[in-house]
Amino acid sequence: MENKEKNFVSAVIYVHNAEHRIASFLRMVIAVLEAHFEHSEIICVNDGSEDDSVGIIKKEAGMADAAVSISVVNMSGFHGLESAMNAGMDLAIGDFVFEFDRTAADFEPGEIMKVYDRALQGYDIVNAAPDKKEKFTSRLFYRVFDLFSDVSCKMHTESFRILSRRMINRIASMNRTIPYRKAVYASAGLKADTVLYRPTDRREAEMDRRERGYRSMLAADSLILFTQLGYRFSVAMTMLMMLISAFMIVYSVVIFATAHPVAGWTTTILFLSVAFFGIFGVLTIIIKYLQLLVNLVFRRTQYNFESVEKLTK
Amino acid sequence: MEQYDKIIIGAGLYGLYSARVCGQRREKVLVLECDPTPFRRATYINQARVHQGYHYPRSISTAMKSAGYFERFNRDYDFCINREFDKIYATSARYSWSDGTQFKRFCAAAGIPCEELHPERFFKPGMCDGAFLTREYTYDAMLLKDYFLEKLNALKNVKILYGAAIRSIEKRNDVYAVCMEDGKEYRAGFVLNAAYAGINQILDMAGLEKFRIKYELCEIILCDAGEKLKQYGFTVMDGPFFSIMPFGKTGLHSLTSVTFTPHMTCYRETPAFPCQGKDGGTCSAFRLGNCNDCPGRPETAFPYMANLAGKYLRDEFTFVYRQSLFSVKPILMSSEIDDSRPTVIRTYSKDPTFVTVLSGKINTVYDLDEVL
Repeated sequence: MENKEKNFVSAVIYVHNAEHRIASFLRMVIAVLEAHFEHSEIICVNDGSEDDSVGIIKKEAGMADAAVSISVVNMSGFHGLESAMNAGMDLAIGDFVFEFDRTAADFEPGEIMKVYDRALQGYDIVNAAPDKKEKFTSRLFYRVFDLFSDVSCKMHTESFRILSRRMINRIASMNRTIPYRKAVYASAGLKADTVLYRPTDRREAEMDRRERGYRSMLAADSLILFTQLGYRFSVAMTMLMMLISAFMIVYSVVIFATAHPVAGWTTTILFLSVAFFGIFGVLTIIIKYLQLLVNLVFRRTQYNFESVEKLTK
Repeated sequence: MEQYDKIIIGAGLYGLYSARVCGQRREKVLVLECDPTPFRRATYINQARVHQGYHYPRSISTAMKSAGYFERFNRDYDFCINREFDKIYATSARYSWSDGTQFKRFCAAAGIPCEELHPERFFKPGMCDGAFLTREYTYDAMLLKDYFLEKLNALKNVKILYGAAIRSIEKRNDVYAVCMEDGKEYRAGFVLNAAYAGINQILDMAGLEKFRIKYELCEIILCDAGEKLKQYGFTVMDGPFFSIMPFGKTGLHSLTSVTFTPHMTCYRETPAFPCQGKDGGTCSAFRLGNCNDCPGRPETAFPYMANLAGKYLRDEFTFVYRQSLFSVKPILMSSEIDDSRPTVIRTYSKDPTFVTVLSGKINTVYDLDEVL
């Protein structure tokens, strides 16, 4: 019999109306943890489920071995994946913490240990992503995100990941809130890796209307918060409009000199062009200010380092 | 058949305190204890706090009551009090029912000292939103036991019977008759039930109305504290957190946590646990054995508690496992919401008198004075 791992691991599982999937999923996670770890805990975050998910979790927990401690966090109403997982993460006490964002098990149980072993090789965060073509909307989102964010991070649709305690502490001291974990993890600046697995089930994860609505809101929020998209767009627009305004100024002067416009036309157009020129300039400055404010409110630390190396005495 | 003025069931602090008070009045007292020595359960197996109320930020009544008795207990039992450490209370940034500001306001309202410190001196960044230097001591149950035994030995009119197994308690005219398994019978016009986790079992034998309590089989872990931790006691509030603090004058620290200290919970009237039967038949829902001496006691939850403490405390505060203590703790069902621990004294009958006491704190023992 192999020696069990001494590290204490936690598994945080997101549960939202998952009564059909949760029993088998939980059983699989419990089996893996029991087989490989001396001590572990599972935290199920019940995000406003309206079905019998919690009842099923309680039943499964009753049958589990005492080496795994199982608890449920009941959110007061629907919070959405990100806040719910943050709540679970705050409760977890493990040296390493698994985050299972979905209860659809489209991977072999062995993948869990693969991800853990990879983390032991010195990665503070290891993601597990299915090796398949992503949905069009997901691809579009990640492309836009990558294009406009200052950290280069290849993000995927992931089923679960593992975080080291060092990573969790870093995140806790870095941000006040964690609106979108993936982006925060990517910007934490510690070593990250992704393990691809061959999905055993090619169907897309089922989601109810609320979850879908939440996801599109989250996508919009994340693009505004974590990327330069808003700023770059407004700068580009301003540049364009300023150019047009400048052209209009020149044009009205030329018309005034060559043709003979109706009285008042030149002054009106000149006034409008100069005013628009100014307004667009002021708008850009305001947007820059807003972005600075977001950063000040939202970020706690000024910089992140990966490691400090001493090279000579 | 032996006749006494008072029969006291349970040789914990409440039992022996009562025996001494009555003994000093020249009353003839019998203490019945099922264990071979006193103080083998709740009086010894707890966090050994001399409460001043910090622990109850949502129950100002409990807090003020403890604060009132704090000085008196420290004065009366000065020899067993450990004052030589700084007690730090902190409020967790997440999952706490009270935050740092509320805790401070609570201390001011209860009139107990509380000096604000910088949380990151002791805790990892972002984990606690308030840290406070407070005044809380711990007592050493074994020193307290020696003191009581010495005082009681000097009183010839007080007798302590160990290994006492009670079979039934009957009311006969103006006395209660306590019948033992070995056929002996003791009578008194006054019975005090101070059996803590066993109170409902005693009430059951006497055919009286039982307390609404739940039972938790709890583990207190004793650790060797590292150099940095030695001079501190830490309690992180107010929710699923932990305490690590000196355990009396033993030189060890006790480690407990809200989620991992209770191993099993029982909601029945009398304590029934699945481990009963692993001990050779001395423990049952009818007569609770001593968990600490039991071979069927649960495996330690130290890895869980250690990880929880390690998540909060800075890495320089180290500790190493030494041993575990187990006991069953009764919790009044009415105190779940405000987390209060009232001392309940119920007088069931007068002449003959039957009094039951249930308390979760050591320094409210003086509440007994009015019924003795």
